[in-house]
Amino acid sequence: MNEFITLMKFVIPLYLVAFIIYTVRALKGPTIVDIILAVDCMSFDIAAFMAILAVYFKSVFLISGAITLALWAYLLDLYMAKHLTKKEVGT
Amino acid sequence: MNALFYIGAVLITIGGICDLLGAIGLLKFPNFYVRLHAATVGTIGGAVVPLFGVAFLALGMDIPHRYAIAGASFVTGIIVLLAAPAGATALAYAAHKARIVDWKPKVDHLRGERK
Repeated sequence: MNEFITLMKFVIPLYLVAFIIYTVRALKGPTIVDIILAVDCMSFDIAAFMAILAVYFKSVFLISGAITLALWAYLLDLYMAKHLTKKEVGT
Repeated sequence: MNALFYIGAVLITIGGICDLLGAIGLLKFPNFYVRLHAATVGTIGGAVVPLFGVAFLALGMDIPHRYAIAGASFVTGIIVLLAAPAGATALAYAAHKARIVDWKPKVDHLRGERK
């Protein structure tokens, strides 16, 4: 168990710094596709971070949100691409 | 603590470092099409590799519901592995089609072909 705490002390700051940098890019992105790309990367990485937290807190409920979050980021990409090409969202 | 724990720990560490490098690249690269490269490092290296690592790590530890955590993180890794390149390709196609990114290429062989 001691090795696991050491691993978490090394890994969690890497993820937090990466989330802060993604947030900076999402706030100052010049075009809308930069914002969507930054939010997309941040959602996939939050899904991975949520899986790590599920092992850390020994909880099975956190991992069910990760699947939904990954699929939601994919839907965000597809709807935004549809809006930019066809100027409408939907069928 | 057995061998599966250490395989998972190595994969999670590689994933964290790739995530940080992808974030720095996404902040520093000049335009959208170059930033797409750093985004691939951030999603495949920073999300898929740690999710597979969490699957091995949960199998190697003695915690309750470890098979559920390992299976769900493996499924999430497969979903991200399939969805992230498709979403990035759709975004690149939309940005090229809507012409909202100004880029200054050195060579563009398809300039005359574009309608």
